[in-house]
Amino acid sequence: MKKLNPNVSLMLFAAPALIVYGLFKLLPAVLGLFYSTTDWNGLNKTYNFIGVSNFIEIIGDQYFWNSVLFTLKYVIVMVIVANVIALFLATMIESINRGKGLFRTVFYMPNMISMIIGGYMWMFIVTKVLYYMADNWGLTFLDQSWIGDPRYAFIAIIVVASWGSVGYLMIIYMAALQGVPTSLKEAAYLDGASGWQTFWAVILPMIRHAVTICVFWTLNSSFQVFDVIYSLTGGGPGRATQSTALNIYEEAFKGNIRYGYATAKSTVLFVIVLIITIIQLRIMSKKEQEA
Amino acid sequence: MRKKKIIFNIFVYTFLCIAAIFCLLPLWMALVNSFKTNGEMLTNVMSWPSRLRFENYVRTFDKMNYMRSLFNTIFLSTLSVSVMVVFSALAGWKLCRTKTKLSSFILALFIFSMLIPFSSIMIPLYKLVLILKIKNSLIGLSFIYAGMGVSMAIFLYHGFVKSIPIELEEAAAIDGCNAFQTFFYVVFPMLKPITVTIVITNILWIWNDFLLPLIIISDNKKYTLLLSTNTLFGQYSSDWTAILSALILAALPVIVFYSIFQKNILKGISDGALKG
Repeated sequence: MKKLNPNVSLMLFAAPALIVYGLFKLLPAVLGLFYSTTDWNGLNKTYNFIGVSNFIEIIGDQYFWNSVLFTLKYVIVMVIVANVIALFLATMIESINRGKGLFRTVFYMPNMISMIIGGYMWMFIVTKVLYYMADNWGLTFLDQSWIGDPRYAFIAIIVVASWGSVGYLMIIYMAALQGVPTSLKEAAYLDGASGWQTFWAVILPMIRHAVTICVFWTLNSSFQVFDVIYSLTGGGPGRATQSTALNIYEEAFKGNIRYGYATAKSTVLFVIVLIITIIQLRIMSKKEQEA
Repeated sequence: MRKKKIIFNIFVYTFLCIAAIFCLLPLWMALVNSFKTNGEMLTNVMSWPSRLRFENYVRTFDKMNYMRSLFNTIFLSTLSVSVMVVFSALAGWKLCRTKTKLSSFILALFIFSMLIPFSSIMIPLYKLVLILKIKNSLIGLSFIYAGMGVSMAIFLYHGFVKSIPIELEEAAAIDGCNAFQTFFYVVFPMLKPITVTIVITNILWIWNDFLLPLIIISDNKKYTLLLSTNTLFGQYSSDWTAILSALILAALPVIVFYSIFQKNILKGISDGALKG
């Protein structure tokens, strides 16, 4: 029997994956570059090449830049808040003897539920239940316009988004914490280190890999935030809590149906995400090398 | 010392219990109020329902075409994940076992795309769907999910294959297996641990994904659970007890799934992330 050339048999096995991947991921990415230079919309059958006009229009598009700023703000807050809470919960659960499994199960539960469903459930909480708590339990600080006031709407979004993602991060941190040898903690204890010192100087460096993964994951998913905002505030009041993904979605599929212009916006978003990812990978790999 | 430990424990357990209540609050409130009439709910959201009324459920069950939406969602996630697993196992295995320039290039090509955010390809993808005439097609949508998910799956398979000995494959080849037989009878069974991880993470992703079906599926006969819930939410704008019953119905399959496969899910999640 003649042996096949390794590259030929490789292509044979990789072809199905390459085809679906090329067709539904790479091709749209390339087509996007092309459509962003056209005036393609949902109303006319034909479209024209208009060069960089879309990108020039984006420079002056106040709503788009507001949505980019909002998304950046959201990403930064989420990366910090979600990771700190998740690491804190993971450390707490790892420190107890009974009920570990139960707490882990409960804390992960919200991650199973779509943020569309979760967002609507929370809408009920913030529009009905919190007022009840404020009126009857004297928790007057809860008596806010959680959806109607941009400042509180931002807080509400962060709370609900954390509710829906902390469990995932916590599971990863727990797995990493279990990998820290007890002998190290005992050695630190015998050397007279406080719990806090042990955490900073012994445990944190040991779970650096998990921190990198979690920060990267939060960063990536937060940049694309859509569901929680769609269901909770719909981007409102006005456009105060509109994320970039929501802005692009509305430009393309609501009202204007300006596909070409919306595609140009999504190209800008891609460039921003790419730059930030490269910076992040640089910083993280440097830190891991130092360690 | 002992006393200090007890105080510390009390503090930790109190804190964890408060966090647990916070986690379950929306589900609990939705469940309790879904059995009430709107009048009862408005009088006191916190109260126990006066009796278990299933009227809301009966109404929303029909209105959101529950069984059909559920079936569509199961069909969509099962087909997508099956396609994705077979395609990426084939590719991931061969990419790992072939050491040529081409194989490194293809692997790099797959990994590179993980940086492309979905919202960046959303509109051209929509155009492509129109050209291929697969709008409103659940089968078409499955292949789109497969296309978007293969890179991560290939990455995981590639890493896993490295850890399994090549001798078994060589033995199979000597015994007269061709490459496909070797793959299906020898390699694929050994990939089971990572396959479980890939299946779980991707089923959860596709089951809970909203934006892609929202733009591809507009025919309500093809609606997934999330799409019907979303539509119902729009129609019942202030009828909260009905909406809550629909939300409970929509969340129910995942909660059942979670209570059965909890161990595998939690393990799959951490394996998928830490190995990736």
